[in-house]
Amino acid sequence: MALKERPKPFLLPEYCKGCGRCLDACAKDCITLSDQINPLTGLVPVELDLTDCNACGMCMDACPEPYGLRPAHEGEVQDFELEDPAKLFGVKPSDALEPSDIPNEVLPLPRTEPLVIKGTYASALGALLAGCRHVYGYPITPSTEGAELMAKFLPKLDGTFIQAVSEVAAVNMMYGTAGAGLPTMTFTSSPGFSLMLEGVSYMIGAELPGVFVDVMRGGPGLGNIAPEQSDIKLACHGLGHGNTQAITLAPSTPQEMLDLTMLAFELSFKYRNPVVILSDGYLGQMTGKVQLPDSMIKPGIPKWAVYGDAMHRKNLISSIFLTETDLEAHNHHLNAKYASMKVEARAESFLCDDAEVVLIACNTPARTAKGAVQDLRNQGIKAGLFRPITLWPFPVVDLIAAIKGAERLVVVEASAGQLEDEVRLALSKAGVRQFPEIESVRRMGGILPQQNEIMAQVLGKKEVRA
Amino acid sequence: MSKASVFYDKFERHSHGQGLKGHATHYCPGCGHGLAHKYLAEAIDALGIQDRTVAISPVGCSVFLYYYFDVGNSQAAHGRAPVVALGHKFANPESVVISYQGDGDLASIGLAETISTAQLGAPITVIFINNAIYGMTGGQMAPTTLMGQTSSTSPSGRDQSNGQPMKMAELIAGLDGPIYVERVALFDAKQRIKAKKAIQKALKLQMEGRGYSFIEVLAECPTHLKMTPEETEKWVKECMEPVYPLGVKKDLTIDPWFKRNPPCFQGEKLLSLAGATYEHPVRACKGFPTHLAPQDISLKLAGSGGDGAQTAAMLIARSAINEGFDATHIPSYGPESRGGTSYADVHVAEDEVLNPGSPDPQILLAFNAPSLAKFGPTVRKGGYVIYDSSVVTEAPEFDPSIKVFPVPFTGIATDLGKAVVKNIVALGALQAATNIFPRETFLTAIRVALKDKCALIPLNEEAFAWGIKSVEALDQ
Repeated sequence: MALKERPKPFLLPEYCKGCGRCLDACAKDCITLSDQINPLTGLVPVELDLTDCNACGMCMDACPEPYGLRPAHEGEVQDFELEDPAKLFGVKPSDALEPSDIPNEVLPLPRTEPLVIKGTYASALGALLAGCRHVYGYPITPSTEGAELMAKFLPKLDGTFIQAVSEVAAVNMMYGTAGAGLPTMTFTSSPGFSLMLEGVSYMIGAELPGVFVDVMRGGPGLGNIAPEQSDIKLACHGLGHGNTQAITLAPSTPQEMLDLTMLAFELSFKYRNPVVILSDGYLGQMTGKVQLPDSMIKPGIPKWAVYGDAMHRKNLISSIFLTETDLEAHNHHLNAKYASMKVEARAESFLCDDAEVVLIACNTPARTAKGAVQDLRNQGIKAGLFRPITLWPFPVVDLIAAIKGAERLVVVEASAGQLEDEVRLALSKAGVRQFPEIESVRRMGGILPQQNEIMAQVLGKKEVRA
Repeated sequence: MSKASVFYDKFERHSHGQGLKGHATHYCPGCGHGLAHKYLAEAIDALGIQDRTVAISPVGCSVFLYYYFDVGNSQAAHGRAPVVALGHKFANPESVVISYQGDGDLASIGLAETISTAQLGAPITVIFINNAIYGMTGGQMAPTTLMGQTSSTSPSGRDQSNGQPMKMAELIAGLDGPIYVERVALFDAKQRIKAKKAIQKALKLQMEGRGYSFIEVLAECPTHLKMTPEETEKWVKECMEPVYPLGVKKDLTIDPWFKRNPPCFQGEKLLSLAGATYEHPVRACKGFPTHLAPQDISLKLAGSGGDGAQTAAMLIARSAINEGFDATHIPSYGPESRGGTSYADVHVAEDEVLNPGSPDPQILLAFNAPSLAKFGPTVRKGGYVIYDSSVVTEAPEFDPSIKVFPVPFTGIATDLGKAVVKNIVALGALQAATNIFPRETFLTAIRVALKDKCALIPLNEEAFAWGIKSVEALDQ
C-alpha cells in the first residue's frame, strides 16, 4: 500500500505577516524572506521554494496565522495569481445553526396555606419558583440568610449554589450562567453591591439578565449592618461605568419580596437586562404572611444564549463594540430599551385621592408611613401615602396623580435624601414645575424613621400654621 | 483541510471582515497568541467538540479570541474569565469551557478568581499565555516580567521593589483542586509539538469530567520586547525558561466525577422544601381580639440570646396568621453571636399590618431586668407587662393603668426539667394575661412548629399550661 502523500505548504502572501517563525522550522531551507514589501499589507512576506520540500509540516505548525502557511489543496501549487479572497475561502463565515427560542414552561402549583417566613426566605423562594437554579454569592450581613437558604435548597433541586471568593467573582459567575441563557441571582448588601457593579455594567453592556437582591445597610464604607436606604442612588444612577440603567424594585412586605423577585426574573429576561431588588435590613429579617403563587416556571433557553451546544454555537456574549459608530448604535439601542421599560413603572397610592398631606416612602419606611397615615386620618387629617414600587423607572405618572390635591409633600426615608432626589428628578423630567415644597423625615445610620417622628413633622407644622 | 475548521471561514467580527482582516488575526507578527489559537483550534477539531465548546475571551491582547473561533463565545471583564467559565460550566455541565487568559488578566487583576477557581477544581480548561509583558496596554510590567527586564513601568528593569515574577504553573500545581498542570513553550518545533499535545490533553480531561486543567504557554511578544520574532524566540528560551521551567507540574489519575443531574422543576418537591401545607388549620378565634385594639396590636418581646424570645414571637405571628389575621415579626439582635440582646417586634392586625415596628407596644414580654427597664416605660397606657419574676427581683414602677404580671418563667421551666421551655411558659402567661387568642390557637402553632420533634410536644404543652396557671394564681 502506498503511503498517503502529505501535503506541502501553501501561502497567500497577503496573509503572511513576515514574522519568519517558519524559517527556522524548515530543515530544508525552502523558506526565505522576500526582498519586496507586499503592497497590500505593507509587510515583507516569506517566499517558498518547494523544490526540496519533504512536506514535514513543521513550517505550518510554526505559522501563527490561521490563514497563513497551510497545507496545499490537491493540485494547488505555490505559483498563482491572487484571486478575490471571498472566492478562495467562500463567503459564509460559519455553518452554525440559526438559533431559536426554547420557551419557558409554566407549571401549575396546588393551592397551599400561607407561609410565615422572613423576607429573605420569601425572596429565595420567589427565585426558585421563577426557575432559578443557579445562585452565586458571598456572605454579607444582613443578606446572608438568602445565600444560606440557597445553599440548603439548591442541592436538593439539583441546582448550583457556589460561595464565590468575592462579590466580584459572584457577579461574574452570574455573567457566565446568564450568558448561557439561564436564570441566575445573588443576595448581597450595600458594600457587596458596590463590588458587584463592575459586573453589572458588563451584564448591561452584554444584555444579560440576572437578579440582584440588595438588602441595603448603613454606609458609607463599612458603616454598620442596620437598615438604611443607602443604595437608591447607586441602583438608579450608578450601576457601574457607562450608560447603564436597570429596573429597580422596592418591596415593602415579605409577600412582595416573593412576588417582586418572581417579577424581577420575568422582567430581566423580557428586557435582557439585570433587575435590582432594593430591600432593607428590616424587611430581610421581617417575618410575615406569604401566599405562594398558583404556578411556577421551568425556564427554557433564549435564542441569544451561549449554552455550549450546536443550536447556540453562533452566538457571542460581549460588551465590546470597538468601532465608535457601532458603540454609539449600541447605546442608542440600550436607550430605546430603557425607554421601553417605562411601562414597568409601578406604585401604590394609599388614601391619596383626597389627601392634603401626601407622604412618599418605600421599603420598610413606607409601612411606618402607612401606620402614620392611618393615625393621621384617625385625627381627621387627610393624609395619604405614595409608595413607589419601581424606583427606576420612577412611577411619575402615578406620583402626579397622587399629589394632585396635595398641599404638602413629606418624603420619609432612611437615607440622606436619595429618595427625595428621585422624586425631584422624576417631576423635573416630567416637566412638573409646580408642586408643594418637599418636607422630609430622614434618619440614617441604621435608624428607620419612626411613626411618631412622621406624626410630629405633619402635626407640628400644622400647629405652626394654625 | 486548509486550516482547523474551528476557525471561522471569514473573520466577520474583525472590522466587519473587511479586506484582509477577514482572514488575518489582529496579532503582531511573531506573536505567540496565534500559535496558541491554532493549537487550541486543532485540539477542538481533533476531539470533535466544536458544538460543545464555549470559549471565554479575556481582556488583554486575546480579547478578540471570539473573532476567530467558530464556537460559543463569551467575553469577560478583566481577570474574571475563570469565574465566567464556571458560570457557563454550571449552566451546562456538558459544555467544554475554555478560559483563555494572558498574564495581566490571570496573574494580576484576576488572581483571586484564578486561584479560587483552580482550587474549586470543577472541570474547565485554563490556557495561560505568559509573555512576561503587558501587550494591549503597551508594554507595561506584568506580574511575570523577569527580574531586570525593562518595561514602560519598570524602566530601569524590574527590581526588588517590584517584587519577584509570579510562577503560576507551580502555584496552581500546589493547589489540591487541579488535576493537570503543564508549562509549555513555542520557541522551537519540539516545544510546539508538546504544546499541541498538552492543550489537547487538557481539553480531553475536561470532556471526561475529570477536573480542572491548566496549561501555561511561554509566548513571544516581539513588539513590546522590542526584538525581532527570531530574537524573541531565543529570549524565551534563554531568559524565560530558566525562570519558568517547562514540563508537567501535576498530572493526577482521577476518575470522572463531575456528573450533574438536570435541575429539578417538580412543584411538589419545591413546596415540600418550602414547608408549605395544604390543610387549613382549625380556627379557634371568634373574631379579632378587639378588647386589646380595634385593628392592630403591637407587642414587644425582649430578652437575651437563648431566652427564646424570637421563637415565642414567631409562634404569636404564626398563631395570628393561622387565624386568618395578618402578622409581622421583626427580630433584632446585639452584635454578639451568642448571649447578646434579643428583641422582637410583633404586630397582629385584622387586615394588614401597617407599621411593623413596636416602639410603644401594648404588650411587653420581658425575660430579664435590663429588658424590663428598657422597654417598660414605652408600654402604652392600659397595656400589659409580663416578665420573668425568677430573674427580675425588683420591678420598676408602672403607670397604674398598666396590668403587670410577674411570672417565674425560668423557675417553672427548671422545675419541668428543661430551662429552654421558659419561652413557652411565657407564652402561656401571655395568653392568660391578655387572651389575645384562645389557648387552642397557640397549642396548634406549637404542635406545628414541633412536628419534626414530636417527643417534645407534651413538655411544651405542660409548660404552656403552667404559664396560664401562674397568671390565674396571680389573679386570685
